[in-house]
Amino acid sequence: MHVLIVEDEVSLANELMHFLTQEHYLCDWAFTGREASEKIAVNRYDFILLDLGLPDYEGLDLLRETRQLEHEPAIIVLTARGALEDRIEGLGMGADDYLPKPFSLLELQARMQAIVRRKFQVKSHVLEFRGIELDSMARRVTYQGNEITLTKKEFDLLHYMLLHRKRIMTRLQLTEHIWGNVLEDSYDSNYIDVHIKNLRKKLAEYIPNDWLETVRGVGYRLVA
Amino acid sequence: MKLQSKLTLFSAATKIIILLVLVMVLPSVVNRVALYSTDQRLLQKKEQVFDIIEERGIESFLSDGTDETYGSYNLLKEEFISMEPIDPSQINNRIENTLRKVENEVVEYRVLSLGFELHGATYLLEIGRSLDTIRETSSTLQKYALYFLFSVVLLTVFMDLAFIKVLLRPLTLILRKLQRIGHPDSFKPTPLPTNTSDFVFLNETINAMMGHVKEAFRKEKEFIGNVSHELLTPISILQNRLENLMADPAVPDTVLLKLVENQKTLHRLKSIIQALLLISRIENEQYLKNERVNLLALVQDVVDEISDRAELKNVTISVSLSQSPVLQKANYSLLFTMLFNVVNNAIKYNKEGGSIHISGVRKDTRYELCVSDTGTGIAEDQLPKIFSRFKRTHAPDGESHGLGLAIVQTVAKFHRIKLDVSSEPGKGTDFKLLFKEL
Repeated sequence: MHVLIVEDEVSLANELMHFLTQEHYLCDWAFTGREASEKIAVNRYDFILLDLGLPDYEGLDLLRETRQLEHEPAIIVLTARGALEDRIEGLGMGADDYLPKPFSLLELQARMQAIVRRKFQVKSHVLEFRGIELDSMARRVTYQGNEITLTKKEFDLLHYMLLHRKRIMTRLQLTEHIWGNVLEDSYDSNYIDVHIKNLRKKLAEYIPNDWLETVRGVGYRLVA
Repeated sequence: MKLQSKLTLFSAATKIIILLVLVMVLPSVVNRVALYSTDQRLLQKKEQVFDIIEERGIESFLSDGTDETYGSYNLLKEEFISMEPIDPSQINNRIENTLRKVENEVVEYRVLSLGFELHGATYLLEIGRSLDTIRETSSTLQKYALYFLFSVVLLTVFMDLAFIKVLLRPLTLILRKLQRIGHPDSFKPTPLPTNTSDFVFLNETINAMMGHVKEAFRKEKEFIGNVSHELLTPISILQNRLENLMADPAVPDTVLLKLVENQKTLHRLKSIIQALLLISRIENEQYLKNERVNLLALVQDVVDEISDRAELKNVTISVSLSQSPVLQKANYSLLFTMLFNVVNNAIKYNKEGGSIHISGVRKDTRYELCVSDTGTGIAEDQLPKIFSRFKRTHAPDGESHGLGLAIVQTVAKFHRIKLDVSSEPGKGTDFKLLFKEL
């Protein structure tokens, strides 16, 4: 997958490049809108991560330009603007997703994968892990044909962990994925632990309990 | 006391004082005037008498060479005239009040006495006028003068009242305008329909002053928004850098633990900034109210979302809403955030195994939603402070930033929802949300 990062903040672009390269994406980076415009015209990108607040270019203009390309790259708008108008306009103008800064890199990758499945006609929406199959479209989890009933949050948690199966995920990262859209007073890691506990209980009927490793003081990691 | 009443009272009081002074001074003045005019009249009569004597001789009054006295009264004894020969040594010209006995009746007269010589003889002429008559005239005069003065005072007081009222109307308008200011944003700098330059100046000054206040308010709100926004980018960098670091296998476990702590601290910072930004954006009306929100559905959504937290603390949540009111112009996600924070607090400050009851009843044109818990409650002296930003009055954990209720309040204000919190320490808290126009 070929990704263009359009971001004027060098440090942020570096972190994005570092992360995406590790996740086996091929990355390119444009610092200004003009640069981005040129690169888009020359290269075939699958993904464009677009920061709307560029110094020389109206980010939305870039979005419009990209939409006129033949091969229709997927666009995720990254912005600290976060204003409602941007959100509506951004989606209406054909951005595939919208991620307000600051965001988790894991969240970014999850969104990218979702777009890949939707946009590039990946036939299978099923993630497999030790015989457990998770269908992200039908939102079903099965083990050898037996359906495992999960709550919405348990499903989202399992899905998120399966997407990042090689990483340690901190409780905070999981919490942000589950409750990220609700702005609340405090962070309590207990809540995520409860859902993990329930998930363990439900999967214990089918697979040995060592599928999820608790990394002391840090978080959780899937064990293949 | 109102300015209008003060001015009217003052004008009435000064007029009454003038009236009283006049009432006290008037009798003596009138008396003097009456006496003076009587004296003039007596002198006039004297001239007439001399004219007669010159024309017809003294014989018309006295028979020649006799010592007889001449005296004449008119019928009502109001006036008399007398003439008698006297010894020259007795001449004493004067005008004075004296008592005279006339036909067995003593009457007080104003008498002009004048000695004069004619043909070698000396005579005394006396012309008198009854003082009773004079007094009668003067008292009549006094009475009418009083009536007149009294009605003049009454009339002018009413005229003053009306005039002052008209004159001060612009001031009333200004006061009403000031009373209506709930928030600087709601102030409209309107011109004042008057030609009294003082009021025009006052109005212009107030308009200009409110303009400054509004501008300062706007700048402050904008500033909070801008600062929060500017902080989002560095936070973004830090968050992603931490994530990349934690994924690095070269990082030893001890460092990893520290990184996790850093991540939590950064999350806290992020929450504060995001809360401030949310509040600022709502206050700057950057959110739309273009959704119809069913209150029952909203409550149900919040309860569904939060029930796992309640279960963790063995807190049961029950919901009973009468009817199912629909907010016509609302923002669902903001209302969700608001109610989520309210119910989340009810869980957080509840006791193990406690309960939360969410009830809704219609109250006339309004709808009251009440979230009651069986928690620790809030001390009375802390109640007014709970909505203040960054005030953590009774947080059991060290992690909360104290902006939860500030968000609740801002969203409520945005939707014109009135909040009312009552609490009994040890028993629980009732958090009431009063929805208008439902």
